[in-house]
Amino acid sequence: MASEASPSSSATRSEPPKDSPAEERGPASKEVSEVIESLKKKLAADRCISIKKRIDENKKNLFAITQSFMRSSMERGGSCKDGSDLLVKRQRDSPGMKSGIDESNNNRYVEDGPASSGMVQGSSVPVKISLRPIKMPDIKRLSPYTTWVFLDRNQRMTEDQSVVGRRRIYYDQTGGEALICSDSEEEAIDDEEEKRDFLEPEDYIIRMTLEQLGLSDSVLAELANFLSRSTSEIKARHGVLMKEKEVSESGDNQAESSLLNKDMEGALDSFDNLFCRRCLVFDCRLHGCSQDLIFPAEKPAPWCPPVDENLTCGANCYKTLLKSGRFPGYGPIEGKTGTSSDGAGTKTTPTKFSSKLNGRKPKTFPSESASSNEKCALETSDSENGLQQDTNSDKVSSSPKVKGSGRRVGRKRNNNRVAERVPRKTQKRQKKTEASDSDSIASGSCSPSDAKHKDNEDATSSSQKHVKSGNSGKSRKNGTPAEVSNNSVKDDVPVCQSNEVASELDAPGSDESLRKEEFMGETVSRGRLATNKLWRPLEKSLFDKGVEIFGMNSCLIARNLLSGFKSCWEVFQYMTCSENKASFFGGDGLNPDGSSKFDINGNMVNNQVRRRSRFLRRRGKVRRLKYTWKSAAYHSIRKRITEKKDQPCRQFNPCNCKIACGKECPCLLNGTCCEKYCGCPKSCKNRFRGCHCAKSQCRSRQCPCFAADRECDPDVCRNCWVIGGDGSLGVPSQRGDNYECRNMKLLLKQQQRVLLGISDISGWGAFLKNSVSKHEYLGEYTGELISHKEADKRGKIYDRENCSFLFNLNDQFVLDAYRKGDKLKFANHSPEPNCYAKVIMVAGDHRVGIFAKERILAGEELFYDYRYEPDRAPAWAKKPEAPGSKKDENVTPSVGRPKKLA
Amino acid sequence: MSKITLGNESIVGSLTPSNKKSYKVTNRIQEGKKPLYAVVFNFLDARFFDVFVTAGGNRITLYNCLGDGAISALQSYADEDKEESFYTVSWACGVNGNPYVAAGGVKGIIRVIDVNTETIHKSLVGHGDSVNEIRTQPLKPQLVITASKDESVRLWNVETGICILIFAGAGGHRYEVLSVDFHPSDIYRFASCGMDTTVKIWSMKEFWTYVEKSFTWTDDPSKFPTKFVQFPVFTASVHTNYVDCNRWFGDFILSKSVDNEILLWEPQLKENSPGEGTSDVLLRYPVPMCDIWFIKFSCDLHLSSVAIGNQDGKIYVWDLKTCPPVLITKLSHNQSKMVIRQTAMSVDGSTILACCEDGTIWRWDVITK
Repeated sequence: MASEASPSSSATRSEPPKDSPAEERGPASKEVSEVIESLKKKLAADRCISIKKRIDENKKNLFAITQSFMRSSMERGGSCKDGSDLLVKRQRDSPGMKSGIDESNNNRYVEDGPASSGMVQGSSVPVKISLRPIKMPDIKRLSPYTTWVFLDRNQRMTEDQSVVGRRRIYYDQTGGEALICSDSEEEAIDDEEEKRDFLEPEDYIIRMTLEQLGLSDSVLAELANFLSRSTSEIKARHGVLMKEKEVSESGDNQAESSLLNKDMEGALDSFDNLFCRRCLVFDCRLHGCSQDLIFPAEKPAPWCPPVDENLTCGANCYKTLLKSGRFPGYGPIEGKTGTSSDGAGTKTTPTKFSSKLNGRKPKTFPSESASSNEKCALETSDSENGLQQDTNSDKVSSSPKVKGSGRRVGRKRNNNRVAERVPRKTQKRQKKTEASDSDSIASGSCSPSDAKHKDNEDATSSSQKHVKSGNSGKSRKNGTPAEVSNNSVKDDVPVCQSNEVASELDAPGSDESLRKEEFMGETVSRGRLATNKLWRPLEKSLFDKGVEIFGMNSCLIARNLLSGFKSCWEVFQYMTCSENKASFFGGDGLNPDGSSKFDINGNMVNNQVRRRSRFLRRRGKVRRLKYTWKSAAYHSIRKRITEKKDQPCRQFNPCNCKIACGKECPCLLNGTCCEKYCGCPKSCKNRFRGCHCAKSQCRSRQCPCFAADRECDPDVCRNCWVIGGDGSLGVPSQRGDNYECRNMKLLLKQQQRVLLGISDISGWGAFLKNSVSKHEYLGEYTGELISHKEADKRGKIYDRENCSFLFNLNDQFVLDAYRKGDKLKFANHSPEPNCYAKVIMVAGDHRVGIFAKERILAGEELFYDYRYEPDRAPAWAKKPEAPGSKKDENVTPSVGRPKKLA
Repeated sequence: MSKITLGNESIVGSLTPSNKKSYKVTNRIQEGKKPLYAVVFNFLDARFFDVFVTAGGNRITLYNCLGDGAISALQSYADEDKEESFYTVSWACGVNGNPYVAAGGVKGIIRVIDVNTETIHKSLVGHGDSVNEIRTQPLKPQLVITASKDESVRLWNVETGICILIFAGAGGHRYEVLSVDFHPSDIYRFASCGMDTTVKIWSMKEFWTYVEKSFTWTDDPSKFPTKFVQFPVFTASVHTNYVDCNRWFGDFILSKSVDNEILLWEPQLKENSPGEGTSDVLLRYPVPMCDIWFIKFSCDLHLSSVAIGNQDGKIYVWDLKTCPPVLITKLSHNQSKMVIRQTAMSVDGSTILACCEDGTIWRWDVITK
């Protein structure tokens, strides 16, 4: 059709160009465009039909609805007695006014008297009615305001609330018509579509065209032209479509994608993304979702309740089952490997436990600094670590044999961890320190077989060297018992040097098989596999976590984490055999040693990243920060804390350092202190130490917290705490001197009652309900946290309306109380204020507190100095030049909007 | 919005009138000098199907359409405050079936008038700025919803004078709300649109207990636990400029911006993820010379046709039952030159009223052949 005429490059969407780079084979472009054209027509026709169908359907529904409306209004009309109603009477009585106009445009003139209406004809002036109106008594209107939502704490801007990148049409009341509030360049960016998804009709065209004409470059080029995409995109899409088709043809095998097949990452995804670890709430509005996960370097010891040896956790408790001796297969295992946490768990007292743990900590934890960003990997190593420690510490007080096995378990884990670490390391350009870390990891491993074992593993060897050397070093310490135990195990089983792990595995495996044959009827090898199969990835990860939390206590793990999935006995079995199996199954098998993570480490990490980013994308496009901001010279008017051009406070972001923060610590670089939310250990030099005030009540600059414009933090300061409840849960011992910290008012929301009322000055005002003394905390100025760029944009509009609620908070954020805030936003400006504002660091966040500058009596209106930058201050906020000119005179001339209300 | 994507084309109506029906001017009334912003027929009470109410300046006036083209004035109300300028008016009903009229304007105070007793039933104070539209829930005509310049939409119970819900906040409108409309069958649902160019669909299902509570509330209305609804179930950006009128058409929405056309589109909500969805524009009804804001259209009770005025004083009557859209007729008169702010169609569509910027009311009646 139109193909002959259309030039190649300037293809319109409707007329695809004909000429395409001459390919030897493949249909002529004319043919292609004809096919596309016909498909397009078909699509359009289909669309027409579908619209018609939908409209018809809708019409049918509508009919019933309007019918029912009609009925109900009939009923309403019928229910009232006729004639009793005034309106009905009026309807009857009032005279009609006949038209001033007829078809011939001979207009008749109608005029009424003041009381009755008659009509006069003959003029082009329309009928005038005059009915004596009934007066509606005047009601004073409210001062104008925009509906705002109360916030008792700051909130980060909702992602779709940005005016950045969005066209806003501002209607200027005084100037007449609308102004478009956006820069032209921004709109250009709006046009740029990033990765449009393929729509169904586009898919259809691609599929059908390629089906009819076959896959060739010329066809692809035509299609690309037609759909204004690149050929590669089309090709890729075609691949996807074909795959989808295959899948749909082969039937749905995706039925079994249940929760249980997810791994721990997937299951925890929402937790990791939505739970705020700073505020301890889900869906935190302040710090937002998808925060960087910061894992503290110091972890609490696994919880270990006092254990009663005879207490069982239920019918399936391993203790019961072991005692009943139904499983002879387990006898030897227990004897040899001493795995039973039965013995270990019971004997280990909590104190020993923790002391051991603490002793090990400094050694093991630095190793975790490996991956500051890869949370996924990190989590794994965390959990392993815990596991390893648990196993080790669990066995502390057991017999040498038991100990040995414990060590061995630890070693296996270590091996794997090391192995796992290697790729990570290469990925992340780890330093030498890392290598030395792995020494310490390997502290548990010692036997020579270890080395062999490692040789068989195909992981990169560089760090393994370290490990080995580490091993040999350490083996002096712990070597002997472990070796003994290793040998003892080996004596029992057919040892295969080349694949020692497997052989080790066989030990419990063959033992297990006895049991298996008894009540599962499976063979050795299948039984082994079955145990693995039976444990789904999620369950394995849950088990991992369980070990981290409870140590090797199968009762607690089964009850708290795997209830409904696994019984205590199963957990116990898994625990005992997974210890031995160690890394055998590499990728697909055992999570406890983290090897699955290792095998697909690269993928895993990528997955993680991808998942995150998709999440972000779905949550809104606002984070596109591409955009240039040319008019940055213009700053909107904002309230500030001080008059000086001082540097604003720095926004704190927790760092993820695993060792005491060095020079690269982001906090240090950013110029903030490390807080309790940072990953670094408490010994970090960059930490804010809190105060030790005993008598001053933290109300003067003697208190380091107060001096640093921070509130005291019960978690950090030594003597500042909050006593909650009735004391029945235990109160920290009083120090005798009635000490009570007075520097936690924002944290505790100990604010004054503020009333909203009509200001004496203009618009709305904030008033105090009760009298307060000097320097008393009145309340918080809350609002949306927005970026400076966003604030500039919003400010432009606010400035036009002469009504701004912007407040500079720190180098990153501006508070905007326009739509969300609290009543203090209505406090007016005055050069002689009775209040002052102060930015205070409260638990890692900057917040604005309003304090009394002097004694304020009940019912007084609150004012504070907005401290606009002198060159940008609006006229009414300028400091009076002459002493005579009062603030009020500056303010009152403003009409309409409460100008100074802000 | 800028580009219509392939396979999502909408069908545009042709501007050649079918003249299936034709109308003639039968009356013209000058109410005053002030512009008239609203005219509405009563659809709630069969006795008053011929009664309509207008709003403009500080006056609310009730009229009756008589059979022969004549119009009789029934009642008139005037706010004592000359500053008041009513922008919108709607019919409502008391619990005992009394017809009410609710009107609002620049002052932001909603006047609820019991027209049977000719008294002010309630004055609803709460909006922080002018009220741009009031609509009544047809299934429960004690409930009215108001769109305001203060960026909020509020749900009121006119019987008890309670502000039940406020629809504003995080997901709310970012600028003046210009129009609202209740879903015809889903009592929980309504749509609002405004100067922020979006159309938002809201649901009050979760808050319905408060609606019920409002009927039995005997305490001071200001003590009622008014709730904020911050998130709409859907936000559609089918327009790129101010959206000044929207109406439900079954499950579809008719809405207009200042682009010389009315769009009929289908909001496609995603079941599981509230707030997300797509809007599919199905039909376009062109209306020439209609690119200033605050021009509102109206339909008859059965939603079979829609009438809209334009800047030139012409009225376009589109058939809503056909696909592709058919223009029934274009009404023009050589003396009608002023902006028609709103039209009103009678229950069966036989009468069309238009209220103009110059304070005149035009009555058009269908010519029966």
